[in-house]
Amino acid sequence: MDESTPPPPDIDAYPPPPPPSAPTGTPTDFLKGVVGKKVIVRLTSGVDYRGVLSCLDGYMNIALEQTEEHVNGVVTNRYGDAFIRGNNVLYISAAEPL
Amino acid sequence: MASQILPLELIDRCIGSRIWVIMKSDREFTGTLLGFDDFVNMVLEDVTEYETTPQGRKKTRLAQTLLNGNNICMLIPGSEGPESDS
Repeated sequence: MDESTPPPPDIDAYPPPPPPSAPTGTPTDFLKGVVGKKVIVRLTSGVDYRGVLSCLDGYMNIALEQTEEHVNGVVTNRYGDAFIRGNNVLYISAAEPL
Repeated sequence: MASQILPLELIDRCIGSRIWVIMKSDREFTGTLLGFDDFVNMVLEDVTEYETTPQGRKKTRLAQTLLNGNNICMLIPGSEGPESDS
């Protein structure tokens, strides 16, 4: 029956998908762009963690790979994987061009 | 009544220009503001971090940086920070 087979939606009726937009610069855009890149994470204590950002969430909880712990510019520890609880994070800085 | 401007609107007008961020601790940042969210987490570019210690002021240069809004105390639009003359 005709009623059981609705016509396919007219694709012209839908707006075109947005172009792959340049990052507008909000925190969310920054975080999307920086996943998989080398980053410097500084905690409020002043300790730095440098590594590859594998993932993170809205709390700024962070998972890093190939992590180096820096205290006063000196490497004090290396970790294969590290999880950082977001409340300690002062900033996340890109360590390679985005 | 004269048109009001909300605090976050003021910050929104600063996007693209230099801004000086003073934290709750002895830490300050300057950079070009790229964006921010409702928590006033801020994305900055060409950043200089200033740490004031009893030994003096330590400067750190950073590229694009997401600054956690949790520890931000004050924002000063259009300023080059603690080393500016004004």
